[in-house]
Amino acid sequence: MYKYILRRLLQMIPVLLGSTFIIFAMVFALPGDPTAGMCGERPCAPAFVAKFRLEHNLDDPLPTQYAKYMVNVAQGDLGTNFRGIKVADELKTRYPTTAKLAGMAIIFETIIGVFAGVLAGIRKGRFVDNLVLVSTLFVIAIPIFVIGATLQYYLGVRWKIFPVTVSPEATFYELLLPAFVLGSGSIAYVARLTRTNLVENLRADYVRTAVAKGLTRRRAIGLHTLRNSLIPVVTFIGADFGGLLGGAIVTERIFNIQGVGGYTFSSLHNHDGVAVVGTVTVLVLVFLLANLLVDLLYGVLDPRITHD
Amino acid sequence: MRGTTRTVAMLAGITSVALLAAACGGGDSSDDTSSSAAGKTGGAVTVRGCNPQNPLVPGNTNETCGGNVLDAISAKLVHYNPETAAPENDIADKIETPDNQNFTVTLKKGYKFQDGTEVKAKNFVDAWNWVAAGENAALGSYFFDPIEGYAETQCTGTGDDPCAGAGKAKTNKLSGLAVKDDYTFTIKTKEKVSNLPVRLGYTAFAPVPDSFFNDPKAFGEKPIGAGPYKFDSWTKNTEIKISKFADYSGKFGGKLDNITFKIYQDDDAAYNDVIANQLDVIDTIPSSALIDDKYKTDLPDRNLSKAVGVIQAINFPPAKTDPNYSDVKLRQAISMAIDRPTIVKQIFNGTREPATGWVSPVVDGYKANACGESCVFDPAKAKAKLDEAGGFKGGKMTISYNADASHKAWVEATCNSIKTSLGVDCVATPVVDFATFRSQITERKMKGMFRAGWQMDYPSIENFLAPLYGTGAGSNDSDYSSAQFDQLLKEAAAAKDGAAANAKYQEAEGVLASDMASIPMWYSTAQFGWSNKVTNVKVTAFGTIDFSALALK
Repeated sequence: MYKYILRRLLQMIPVLLGSTFIIFAMVFALPGDPTAGMCGERPCAPAFVAKFRLEHNLDDPLPTQYAKYMVNVAQGDLGTNFRGIKVADELKTRYPTTAKLAGMAIIFETIIGVFAGVLAGIRKGRFVDNLVLVSTLFVIAIPIFVIGATLQYYLGVRWKIFPVTVSPEATFYELLLPAFVLGSGSIAYVARLTRTNLVENLRADYVRTAVAKGLTRRRAIGLHTLRNSLIPVVTFIGADFGGLLGGAIVTERIFNIQGVGGYTFSSLHNHDGVAVVGTVTVLVLVFLLANLLVDLLYGVLDPRITHD
Repeated sequence: MRGTTRTVAMLAGITSVALLAAACGGGDSSDDTSSSAAGKTGGAVTVRGCNPQNPLVPGNTNETCGGNVLDAISAKLVHYNPETAAPENDIADKIETPDNQNFTVTLKKGYKFQDGTEVKAKNFVDAWNWVAAGENAALGSYFFDPIEGYAETQCTGTGDDPCAGAGKAKTNKLSGLAVKDDYTFTIKTKEKVSNLPVRLGYTAFAPVPDSFFNDPKAFGEKPIGAGPYKFDSWTKNTEIKISKFADYSGKFGGKLDNITFKIYQDDDAAYNDVIANQLDVIDTIPSSALIDDKYKTDLPDRNLSKAVGVIQAINFPPAKTDPNYSDVKLRQAISMAIDRPTIVKQIFNGTREPATGWVSPVVDGYKANACGESCVFDPAKAKAKLDEAGGFKGGKMTISYNADASHKAWVEATCNSIKTSLGVDCVATPVVDFATFRSQITERKMKGMFRAGWQMDYPSIENFLAPLYGTGAGSNDSDYSSAQFDQLLKEAAAAKDGAAANAKYQEAEGVLASDMASIPMWYSTAQFGWSNKVTNVKVTAFGTIDFSALALK
């Protein structure tokens, strides 16, 4: 088990190195000069351009730029972005906010999704099942910015139940609505995954045996069937956490949350390579860790799966 | 020129510094430009802010996000009247010149910086020298170009670092500036500049205290000025707080005690906060709320629309890059083929005003209809002009635009209008983003026509002519060159008084009309909205909030 974890952690190093280089090369390959748009309709003064390019190593060839960057990273310095702010400082304030948002979204999708999925699964073909089917279809079909903007308008602007936008402190209460919006699409998927697997497993031999030997229905479903049915759900949620962290751009914009998504987008737009690489590298790391966690959870959910 | 990040397209909103009036909304300019009651003194408000792109040093800020904050905390020699944009003396007691070339500036006594030191003549001269000097690579450096000795302060080297080795500037002091005594200094310009006093109200001309030079970097994090408000704190990406400066001795102080610039990534979020009264003033209305004047029903009696010093145009390519657009008759034909009023109505919901010349109506010296019939839609005459010019030889026309802001709709509509009127194919050509768009233009690789926007730096007719159409001027992207135009600019700069100068500038604008130097499209307006807590919201000619008027109810 520990060997397995150690091996997985060691595997992360080449993945991280490779992904930073690919991202670096891609930002490098973007067309356009980052200083070209900085002075509006007027070209920037040569002295400004020279100083800017020198400060950000823009005149070096790609391998040199990458090497300089990695040397700094090895010393714990993620560099400074084009606005002169340390990338590490930005990430320190932005990642906790986004993580809080994504974490709350995951909680929403797990609780509501699994609950709805179980209800639908054990009442297959009945009203509840159809209700879950139709409502999840509805949610999946609507783009997230429509859900976000609509809920913001009614719950925030009109009825004033929730704050319209999130303050810098990003309190739990303020993040409730955005987290629900962010997780809404995933709630639908989790519910559907849970339902399908539960229905399938309910027909399995071991469930029939469990019921035959006198186990209550609650125990047969809750302990045995549901646990086995959750493996695909856990896989989905694990991958989703990484996706929610980086993919919260739309939600972050609607509710003015100063998180990672918007930062990545604007940095990319400004050709700010150092900022993009720093942010995305952390994202890759989170993805890898989340996947490791998911793999370990398999063993907990299904004792037949071992990592020795 | 000061770029603005104000764009409407949902995702393009958080772009680079940029584009000028990229896509600010517009509105009905007949609206009231102020609310009635003057409001009470004291209290705190929150206004929409955006992320400053550079450290907050007056000479190194060229975009509105940082500029709005710096303007509130700094006092300059002159102050622009919020209603008329006319310059009024602020720190300056008087600015005198016998010949439009040698200026003597006398300061009022008693102005204090927020660090307690007094504003003296040397604070101006030192600040200006720093901004001008090439070694400091400040973005506002070019504003000092008219001052004698500017060239000697610039680095001459080529290659990676023009300031290295032999390329180092001869000096880092402008020879045209001299301190006479604590409250007097002189400015000598290279050539005659009749409107120099008007320019001195721009942010780049703000004085800085001595402490700036010890650590410019720290200053950029917590700037110090001599204005009515002082800088309190800046939480990156989140908010900037300023509060009333107790020792401010000027007459442009505000009523409020505290102002917070809350930084938004998206205009729609800020707009919703204003409707819910969680944000007090928004200086831009998102395009979604401009449709059918939705913002006027969302914010009844809490909105206004005002003309600002921004003009949009379509530029012709330099003849060297693309010779197909050089014929004046052809240029006139294209301009006459564009149905400006219909496009303004359909694409901008009436929030622009069709241009009738090259100068914004908000500045002193504006003359209506400078462009004459060339800017009036007339398909028949346009076709006739095209025939006179012998048709278009380049195959199909193109108008390029940067695709990261909402320009697509109007450029396509313009092209359609040209196509229908002239029978020549016209294609709206997107360029991926503003940086790439500008690279192609500066490197003179952009073939075909392209969009342009200009926001004035200072309220003068000259600012719409010289930087854009003077031979070799910094923003003359079409390489327009006219000896007559240059001569008139020179004469205007030497004129005895404002009226005489304006007459010459208007004559120069006439030269642009006969050469059809570019196609003027429309003048912009700014839309503001506010919460039910504030009153007396006024907008300056620059499209910014007038903090001297804003108050709580």
